[in-house]
Amino acid sequence: MMRHLVREWRFLLGQNNVVILLCLCCALSSFAIYSGHQEIVAQHFTIERLQLAQQQDQQDILAKHKTPGSLAYYQFHLTYQTPSHLSFAALGDRDLYPWKHRIRMLALEGQIYESDVANPELAYIGKFDFSFLISVLAPLFVILMLHDIIANERNKGRYELLVVTASGSVVLWGYKTLVRFLALSLSMLAPFYIGSALNDVPLYDVLHVSILVLAYLAFWAALTLWFGRQSIFAPRIAATLIGFWVAVTCVIPITGNLLIEKNIEVPKGSEILLLQREIVNQAWDIPAETSLTEFVKTHPEYRVYTEMSEGFHWKWYYAFQQLGDQAVAHLAFDYRNAILTKFDLGGYIAMFAPPVLMRRQLSRMAQTDVISALRYEQSIRDFHQALRLYYYPYLFELHLFDESTLADMPQYSDFARL
Amino acid sequence: MKQNLQSIQPVIMWKIARDEWRYWFRSKLAVVALLIGLTCTMSTVVVSVGDAFELEHQRGHAQQQSEQTFVNQPDRHPHRMVHYGHYVFKTPPPLGMVDPGVDSHTGNTIFLEGHRQNSATFADQKQSSGTTILGALTPAFVLQVLAPLLLVIMGYGVVSRERETQTLSILAAQGLGYGNLILGKISALLLVAMLMLLPLAISGIVVLSQGESLLTLSLFLVGYLLYLSIWILIIVSISLWAKSNSVSFSTLAFTWLVLCILMPRVATTVAGVMVPAAGKLEKDFAVAAELRQLGDGHNAKDKAFVQLEAELLKKHKVNRVEDLPLNFRGFVALKSEAEITSILNRYAEDRMHEELRQSFFARQFGWLSPQVALRTLSMLTAGTGLETHHRFLRETENLRFNFVQRLNQAHTNKLNYIDDMNRNKSEAAGQIARISAKNWNVIEGFKFRSSPSKERALQAMTPLAQLLLWFGMFGLFLRNLQRHYS
Repeated sequence: MMRHLVREWRFLLGQNNVVILLCLCCALSSFAIYSGHQEIVAQHFTIERLQLAQQQDQQDILAKHKTPGSLAYYQFHLTYQTPSHLSFAALGDRDLYPWKHRIRMLALEGQIYESDVANPELAYIGKFDFSFLISVLAPLFVILMLHDIIANERNKGRYELLVVTASGSVVLWGYKTLVRFLALSLSMLAPFYIGSALNDVPLYDVLHVSILVLAYLAFWAALTLWFGRQSIFAPRIAATLIGFWVAVTCVIPITGNLLIEKNIEVPKGSEILLLQREIVNQAWDIPAETSLTEFVKTHPEYRVYTEMSEGFHWKWYYAFQQLGDQAVAHLAFDYRNAILTKFDLGGYIAMFAPPVLMRRQLSRMAQTDVISALRYEQSIRDFHQALRLYYYPYLFELHLFDESTLADMPQYSDFARL
Repeated sequence: MKQNLQSIQPVIMWKIARDEWRYWFRSKLAVVALLIGLTCTMSTVVVSVGDAFELEHQRGHAQQQSEQTFVNQPDRHPHRMVHYGHYVFKTPPPLGMVDPGVDSHTGNTIFLEGHRQNSATFADQKQSSGTTILGALTPAFVLQVLAPLLLVIMGYGVVSRERETQTLSILAAQGLGYGNLILGKISALLLVAMLMLLPLAISGIVVLSQGESLLTLSLFLVGYLLYLSIWILIIVSISLWAKSNSVSFSTLAFTWLVLCILMPRVATTVAGVMVPAAGKLEKDFAVAAELRQLGDGHNAKDKAFVQLEAELLKKHKVNRVEDLPLNFRGFVALKSEAEITSILNRYAEDRMHEELRQSFFARQFGWLSPQVALRTLSMLTAGTGLETHHRFLRETENLRFNFVQRLNQAHTNKLNYIDDMNRNKSEAAGQIARISAKNWNVIEGFKFRSSPSKERALQAMTPLAQLLLWFGMFGLFLRNLQRHYS
């Protein structure tokens, strides 16, 4: 077997266009890995800088505001989602969904949709990363490399001769295909292995990605070979295969997306914001006890502390902030749910569109997809809730607030999740 | 084309072109490609135009509602209205129907309130099903990416086929000039391109009726025609140069892959690495640090305002703040909003500048790929590029500052200082510290429009130059390929 492989490898090296294609694949993969790695390094640095700035900001705020009410009003808390080890290979939707955010104790629904994201023009065109190379470009390389293996021999008139003289079709076509296939796969996987080493990716994940990539490329290779036997006319084979590629990368996903868009009703985000604003602002125009009575329904432990001697008290202020969130909780839930439903339905479309499936698999593994973005949002919600529970006893003056109690303040790092 | 112009005979050219069409009608592949091309452009134009009208209606309605809600608020303390804030919505420009550009990736709603510049939220793309990898269903995408591929599939063999079937030498022997042959083949493909562009041209009527200028629309259409012509020149050149159909097709498919799929993304990725931009959050920290030096506009007793107080007392020749003919709290709010805004704007401009530098860098790849050039031209003329989004941010900021300051002015002039200071003493005192709802009439109707057509046309000159360079380059290349005609 080795003998055959070595022979085919030598043949391959003799074919300029194949060698050029292999070099190009390797160069593209290296570029994808390098730029992905740079991006992730930059994200880590950004988080570090933000943490530093946050510390500085905290010190200033703590020095200035001593009461729990004003501290909670002025203190912004930094939240962020650290990129996973594998994200250099699949940057995913981190340029669309925010991965860093600052929040404070006010109504969360008014803050959580603010998003600090990258340049929209660059995000709209999309980035070139390893997952894009594999799921979108690699099939085309497979097609270009393998479609004319049989047709070429026929065209050159050697086909009959080869079939008669060779000991079997595996020896004839199998080794040739295998060598080309392995060379192509490895030219793209090798840079990925270097990137994985740089990013401390667990061996298990490296293996998982490798198997996914090989299986995916094998699918395209098999398709190309099967099709290659149907015709003797190489351009027709390639054109049909490329047509199939266009169908599964553009036509099916875009049509499927359109179907989902038209059938799944997403509550308008702006409605959440508008309603929340109404409820929060209305509180100033209605008697304070109305809001406080409503508030103690969810926090009965403060039932006996709702008395207000003045026109303004922080406990009332934060109570109606929470009421604002409560009033839109169902809308906000529907909103997130609709996004998740759309994403799940997209999964069914992906069944008919292998490139989409591949990309989703990779970004799921790298935790850079919608699911991770929603998990990050949930972690902010959890953290915000914890902040409320921390502050309420002090705001309702059950306990005295001083320097020592600051140590018990919830920290976002305890809530972070990927 | 080295032969002089007299030898270009339209009749012969026409015959060559007609022959090519005859061949296409007999070839299953070409017919299928043509049908797919026509259906795609036609259906995307219809769907996108319909969607755009719906979107315009929705956002316009939301805008009106938001304005009404603001004006209908009851009597209040004016500063409460500063925080009540106002929502604005971005309506897409007429040409956004065919090229929505960055619209789906930028937020379309922005909340305007005192002391803060919020970001635009709820980008449509955030609700996507996560299936579209290459692009969205827009006429722009179909014509920029798919149309060249269909032209390749139809045209890879225009000359190489004749060579493979050995009809090329017969044609030459019969005295068919190089120019006639090439121009004939080009005309045949040009007709295909025009057919694909037809739905776009028709949608131009709708676009014009929506108030787009003829200048930008023509530039937009010319850009697309020029782009497809470049592809036709590439196709004919390679088909002429290639030894066989197989080589011609592989080379062309590869060229398409590099120019339409690879280059645009390499451009953004390189721009991202070469021109890093700090996010809004990092700037927010810097803003916060600067703002702390300013003093808190909510607190007129803040040390930062002591000097302001002294100056004002001196100016009005009184000893106590209570005796001033204006409400000092409102005055402080007015002053501090102006100062905060100038700081916020400085950082916002900084950020927009950084983003533009990134985009400019990415757009330079138009010299390396006509697709990048056309995409830029298309977005810029349509008014759906980054510049227009920045314009939206600037205009809304203007709106924000104006209504907040008008409220602060009402605060200064229409609310008594003592009532204001006592507002939290009791609920009754809170009732007194209010001004009439008539004062909420401070927001003008907002309708976002992209920049004037001349400005957009000027912006599009660089990508136009890029396209012309491509056109010229391949035109000359084709001229010099005559030696392959034999």
